[in-house]
Amino acid sequence: MRPVRRALRDRTDSTGASIAQNSEPLRDDASRPSYLAQIPRRGVNVKPFRVSLLTILATGGCAGQQSVLDPAGRDAEVLATLFWWMLGGAVVLWILMNGILFYVSRAKEREFSRRTAELFIIGGGIVFPTVVLAVLLSYALSEMPRQRDLGSGLTVRVVGESWWWRVEYLPDGWDTPIVSANELRLPTGSRSEIKLAANGVIHSLWIPALGGKTDMIPGRETRMSLEPETPGDYRGQCTEFCGESHALMAFGAVVMEPEAFADWLDKQAQEAAPPTGTESIRGREVFAAEGCGGCHTVRGTPADGLVGPDLTHLADRRTLAAGVLPMTEAAMIDWLRDPEAIKPGVHMPAYGHLDDADLSALATYLLGLT
Amino acid sequence: MTETRTQQSAFHVAEPEGTYPPTEEMLDTPVDPGLKKAREDRLRAAWKQPTGLRYWSAVNNSEVGAWYSLTAFAFMLAAGVLALLMRVQLAVPENDFLSAERFNQFFTMHGSAMMFLFAVPMFEAISILLLPAFLGARDMPFPRLSAYGFWSFLVGGIFVLSSVLFGIAPNSGWFMYPPLATEAEGPGSDIWLLGLSFIEVASIAAAVELIVGVVKCRPPGMRINLMPLYAWYVLVVGAMILFAFPPLIAGDFLFEMQRSFDWPFFDPERGGDPMLWQHLFWIFGHPEVYIVFLPSIAIAAMVIPTAARRPIVGYSWIVLSAVGTGFLSFGLWVHHMFTTGLPSLSLGFFSAASEAVVIPTGVQLFAFVATLMVGRVKMIAPMLWIAGAVAVFTAGGLTGVMLAIAPFNWQVHDTYFIVAHLHYTLFGGMIFPIVAGVYYFYPFITKKKMSEKLCRLSFWLTFTGFNICFLPMHLTGLIGMPRRVFTYSGDMGWNWLNLISTVGAFILASGILVFAWDLIRPKSRQPLTERNPWNGGTLEWAHDIPDPGWGVRAVPYVTSRYPLWDQPKFIERLDEGRFYLADAEEGLRETLVTSAVDAEPQHVARVTGPAWCTILAAAFTGGAFIFPTFHMYPPAIVCGVLAIASIIYWLWTSTAQVPKTPVKDVGLNLRLPTYVSGAKAPGWWGVFITMLGDATAFASLVFGIFFYWTARPDFPPQGTAHANLALVALAAVLFSASWAATRIARGINRQGKVTAARVLLGLAPLLAIAGAAALIFALRLPGLAPTEHVYPAMMWAMVVWVCAHVGAGVIMQGYCLAGSIFGKLTPRYDADLWNTTLFWHFLIITCLVTCALVGIVPRAMS
Amino acid sequence: MTRIEDKPDDPPPYRHRSIWHMIAAPVVWSLHFAGVYAWTALSCARFGGPDEARLGIALATAAALALIVVIGWRAWKQWDFLDDYDDVHDAPTTEHRREFLGHAGWLLSIISAIGVLFVAAPAFYIGSCL
Repeated sequence: MRPVRRALRDRTDSTGASIAQNSEPLRDDASRPSYLAQIPRRGVNVKPFRVSLLTILATGGCAGQQSVLDPAGRDAEVLATLFWWMLGGAVVLWILMNGILFYVSRAKEREFSRRTAELFIIGGGIVFPTVVLAVLLSYALSEMPRQRDLGSGLTVRVVGESWWWRVEYLPDGWDTPIVSANELRLPTGSRSEIKLAANGVIHSLWIPALGGKTDMIPGRETRMSLEPETPGDYRGQCTEFCGESHALMAFGAVVMEPEAFADWLDKQAQEAAPPTGTESIRGREVFAAEGCGGCHTVRGTPADGLVGPDLTHLADRRTLAAGVLPMTEAAMIDWLRDPEAIKPGVHMPAYGHLDDADLSALATYLLGLT
Repeated sequence: MTETRTQQSAFHVAEPEGTYPPTEEMLDTPVDPGLKKAREDRLRAAWKQPTGLRYWSAVNNSEVGAWYSLTAFAFMLAAGVLALLMRVQLAVPENDFLSAERFNQFFTMHGSAMMFLFAVPMFEAISILLLPAFLGARDMPFPRLSAYGFWSFLVGGIFVLSSVLFGIAPNSGWFMYPPLATEAEGPGSDIWLLGLSFIEVASIAAAVELIVGVVKCRPPGMRINLMPLYAWYVLVVGAMILFAFPPLIAGDFLFEMQRSFDWPFFDPERGGDPMLWQHLFWIFGHPEVYIVFLPSIAIAAMVIPTAARRPIVGYSWIVLSAVGTGFLSFGLWVHHMFTTGLPSLSLGFFSAASEAVVIPTGVQLFAFVATLMVGRVKMIAPMLWIAGAVAVFTAGGLTGVMLAIAPFNWQVHDTYFIVAHLHYTLFGGMIFPIVAGVYYFYPFITKKKMSEKLCRLSFWLTFTGFNICFLPMHLTGLIGMPRRVFTYSGDMGWNWLNLISTVGAFILASGILVFAWDLIRPKSRQPLTERNPWNGGTLEWAHDIPDPGWGVRAVPYVTSRYPLWDQPKFIERLDEGRFYLADAEEGLRETLVTSAVDAEPQHVARVTGPAWCTILAAAFTGGAFIFPTFHMYPPAIVCGVLAIASIIYWLWTSTAQVPKTPVKDVGLNLRLPTYVSGAKAPGWWGVFITMLGDATAFASLVFGIFFYWTARPDFPPQGTAHANLALVALAAVLFSASWAATRIARGINRQGKVTAARVLLGLAPLLAIAGAAALIFALRLPGLAPTEHVYPAMMWAMVVWVCAHVGAGVIMQGYCLAGSIFGKLTPRYDADLWNTTLFWHFLIITCLVTCALVGIVPRAMS
Repeated sequence: MTRIEDKPDDPPPYRHRSIWHMIAAPVVWSLHFAGVYAWTALSCARFGGPDEARLGIALATAAALALIVVIGWRAWKQWDFLDDYDDVHDAPTTEHRREFLGHAGWLLSIISAIGVLFVAAPAFYIGSCL
C-alpha cells in the first residue's frame, strides 16, 4: 500500500501543472450560509463575474453552488458557453418568427405572391433548419465522447441509497476502498472516474458546477467522469425522483487542489480518532448502548454496520443528513431526536427517548469524529 | 379481383351500380317541396335523440363528443387544481402546506391526469365531435364504440382521480419507474396501472374509429388530395396511437404481473431490469407528446385559412409535416433517458432524430405563416389564441432544440428547465390551439357564440400568467432546482423565482376560469348564430341551424378542398337534399362508405342507434380492471365475463345485420349495396387496425426478450430448464390447424357449403383450445416457475398473452358458428366470418412467433 | 348500367393511387433507425465493439440512402412537376391525386434522407461504446 498522496501527486505532475496558479480572491463570509461560515475555508474560489451574476439572481446562501451557469469544471464550462450561444440563437429566431407572424397578420400592406410564400416555406422550413441543426448536432456529437471519456485520475464509486450517498474512493494502488458518505471530494487537474450504483431504487448524481448527471440504477453499474478546475465548495443533488424524501437528498461537492486532496484522503483512510473529553467518551458509550453500530461504521471501533452512512470522519463533512442540515451540535441533536421530522420516511429510528444530557454527549462524540 | 370473387361465389355479391360521378344536370334537378318535407321528417325521426333518462343512452357523435370533451375539460381543471396546490407549497422555501407524501401524490396525479385524462382524450373527444362534419358524414362509423370509449373513460378517470381524495393515489411520478413504483406500498401503483390501462384501451378504440372514419367515411369525390388537413392529422395521430400505446399496455401487463404475482420483470435480484420499463414507457411517452400536439396544430390548420381568407399554402408540405413528424417521433424516446448511461453512440441516434424532427415540425408553422402572407388577414377572435400558441410553442420548440443536445441535456435533465420546456410545448402546442378551436367551432357545436370580450380577457390573463409562471422556471432549473421536490432550502437562490412562478400560476388559472365561464355560462336567451359566422370554406359550416340531429342534410358530392368557397350552389343543393342519402325510407341511421383513396361510393352503412349495452359493457369492463386493484379477483372475473357478454350482445344485435334488400337507391341515380364483407366493410378495417395495435403490443413483448438478452448476462440463466420442445411443436400444429379451419370455412361458406363450414367452425375452437393447453404444459412439465427468474417469467408472459388471444379467437369462431346456425351469417352475408378470419391471420402469427420464442430461440441464446 | 368500378382514366401502376407508397421513404427511415439502434446495442453489449457497430451503421446507411433515392426518384416522376409546374393539386381529378401523392412522397423522401444522414452522424463522431 503506497500513500495516496504520492499516487495523486504523480498524476497531477503529468497532467495539470498549472492548476495551482489559479488562485483568485476568496468570497467573503457574508455570501456563505451561516453554517458554512463556521468551517475553516479551504480553497473557496469563485470568479468575480460569477458572483455578480448571482447577486442579480439571489442573495447569498448556497446560491451559485448548484448552478449550471457558474461552472467550476471543464464539462460544465463548455456546456455553459454552449448554453449562452444557444440562448442567443434562440432569442433571435424567436423574435424573427413572431415578428414575421405579426407582420404578415397585422402590418403588411399587400398580399405576397404564392411563389414568395412557397419559397418562404422551403427556405425557412427546410434549408435553414437543416443547416443550423447539422452544425449544432456535429458540435454536440463531437463533444459527447469527451465528456464521457474514461477518467485518468481518481476512481470513486458512489451508491445511491434512500436518501443518502455511499461514497467509496478507490485511488490507484489501494485494494480496499476508503469509505465515506454524503460528500464527494474531487481533485483538480485530472478527470476523475465515477462509478455509480444504486440500492433499492433509481437515483441520479448531479453536480451542476462540474458537469452533467448520470442515473444510478439498481442491478447496473453506470459511470460518468468529471474534470473539476476551480477549487471550492459546491453542492450536488439527486435528480431522479426516488421516493418520499427525494427533495432532501443532496450532498456537498468539494473540489480541492491535488495536494490538499491527497492530504485529506490520507486522513480519511485512517481510523477514527478516539474520543478525548469526558463528554465525548460518555457519548461513545451512548452510541454503543443504543446499538448505533448495528447500522453505522466507525472504523477503529466495534461499530461496523453497513446499513447507514459511514461515520468514521463524520464531522469533517460540510453537512449532516445528506446536505440537509449544517454540521452543528444543535442540528445534530435535532436529527438524533427525530429524524422523521427532518426527512420524512427516513429509515433511521428516532432517539427521542434519550434525555438531553445523553443526546448532547452523543452529539459531542459524533462531532469529534473528524 | 371483384370478378374472380364473383365467379367463385355461388351467390351474387352486390356491387355499386348507376351513375358516378353525378352530372351538373342531376345535381340541379329540383326536388318537389312535399317530397323534401317528407324526407326531412323521416330523417329527423331516424336521428331523433332519446329524451329524459334515456338521453344517456345516446351514441351519436354530437352527444358523445360533447360529453367526452366536457369530461376531459373537467379532469383538466381538477389536475390544474393539484398544480395550484403544488405551487402554493413551493411558493416559499421549507413550506409545510403539503406533506412530502401528499406532494408526491399530487405531482404524480397532475402529470398522469393531464396526459391520460385530458390531452389524449381531448383529441379523441374533439375529433369525434367534429370529424363527421368535416367529412360531410352523418356520424362516426361505429357510434357505439365511441360511446363505449367515453363511458370507459368516465369510469376509469373518476376512479383514478378520486384516489387523491382518499390519500391513496399513486406517488411514484407519472412515469412510474420501477423499482420505486413496483415496491411502493398501498394500491397507488395498481390504481395507476389498471385505471390507466383501461383508459388506454378506450383510446385505442377511439383511434380505430377515427382512422376508419377518415379512410372510409369521406363524402363521394373527396379524394385524398382534397381531404381537410384536420383529417390528415387525425389519420396520422390515429396511426401513432396504434403504435405508441400498445408498448405501454405491454409494459403495464408486465408491471402488473410483478405487482400482483411477483414475476420479477423489473427486479435485478432475479435477472430483471428496471430499464425495460423505461424503454417501453418512453416508446409510448415521446410519440404521446406529438399525439397531443398534432391534432391541436390541426385545429390551427382549419382556423388559419379562414382568417387569411385563402386556401392553405403548401397543402402537400403540411401533409409531409404531419406524416414526417409521425414517423420521426418514434425515434426520440431515449432523449428522456439520456442520463441512464447508455452508450454515447446510441444516445447520438436519438439526439440526431430529436433534431431532425424539428424540421417537419417547423414546416407546418412556416406553412401557416405563408398562408397568412398571401391572405387578406382578418384577425377573428380565435386567431388571438393561435398567435399566442405560435409565440409560446416556438419558445418551447427552441428549448427543445437545446434539450436534444445530449451533453446539455445531462445538465438540465430533471430540473425546472424541463418543467418550463414541457409546459411551453404543451401550452403552445395544445392548450392555446384547443382554446382557439373552442372559440372557432363553438358556433358549429352549440349554434351560439362565445363572448369576444371574454375571449380577449381570458387570453391575456392566460398568456401573461403562463409566462410569469413558466418563463422564470428556465432560470430556476439552470441555477440548480431539480424537479419533483416537495421543498427546498431557503439559501439556494430559488426563493424569488418560485414565488413569481406561483403568482403567475394563479393569474393563469384565472384566465382558464374566465374561459370556463364563457364556455358554460347559460346562453339560452342569446340568439342563434348565423350559419357561417367566420365565413369558412370547409363542410362543417354547411350545418343546419337549429340542429336537426341528422348530422348533415345529405351526403354531399365534393370537388374542392373548400367546397363552400369553390363549389357554386353547394349550400342550395345541400339544403334541397340534392346529394346522396337525402332520405331515410326505412327509418334507419345510415351513412355512406367510400373507397380509401378516391372516395368513390361503395356501400351504405347502417350505423347503430341509442343503446344501454355500451354503458353496461363499459361498467363491467371497469369492474374487471378496478377490482384487481384491491386484489379482489372473483368479482373481477365476474365483471370480465359480463363485459364480454354485453359486448357480444351489442355486436349480435346491431352489427352486420342481414339487410332486407341487398341494394339501396341512394339518390343521383346510384344504387349501393347495403351489406359488404371483407376489405370494403368498415368493420373489417376496424379489426385490421385494432390488430395492428395488438401486434405492436406483442412486438413489445418480443422486444423485451431481446432486451433482456442484450442487457443481462444471465438471460437465459446457465443450466436452466427450457420449454418442452415436442409440446411446443404440437401447439404450433394445433394453432395452425385451427387457423386453417377458419380460413377454409370462410371459403366454402361463400360457396354455399354451409354444413361443412359449420363443422369446421365447430372444430376450430377445439383445436385452438388444445393448442393453448399444449403450450401451457410445455412450460409446466419442465417446471419453469415464473417467480424464480425473469427468464421463465418472460416465457410465461408470452404464453399468457397467447392464451388470452386464443380465448378471444375461440369466442369469435363460436360467434360465427352461432351466426351460421341462427341465420345471421349466410353465404352471402358473411362479414363476421371475414373479420374472424382476419383476426386469426394476426393470431396465427402471434402463436407461431411465440412457439419459436418459447421453444427454439432460448436454446440458441444460451 | 354503369359499373362504377371501371376507371378508364386511372392507368396502372398501383403505386400511383397508394398511400403505402407515399410513406415508403419514412418506412425506410424507421427500418434504418431500428436497425442501427439494435445493431449498436448488440455490438456494444454482446459481441464486437464500437468498430463493428460503426461499420454496420455505415453499410445500413448506404443501403437506406440508396433505397430512398429510388423511392424519391419514382415519386418525383409521379409528381411530374416539370410537366405543368403544378404543386397545388387541388382539383378533383385522378391526375391531381396522382401528382399529390407523388409530391408528398417526394417531400417525405427528402425529409427521410435528411433523417437517415442525421441518425448516421453519431457513427462519424463517436468511436467508443462508453
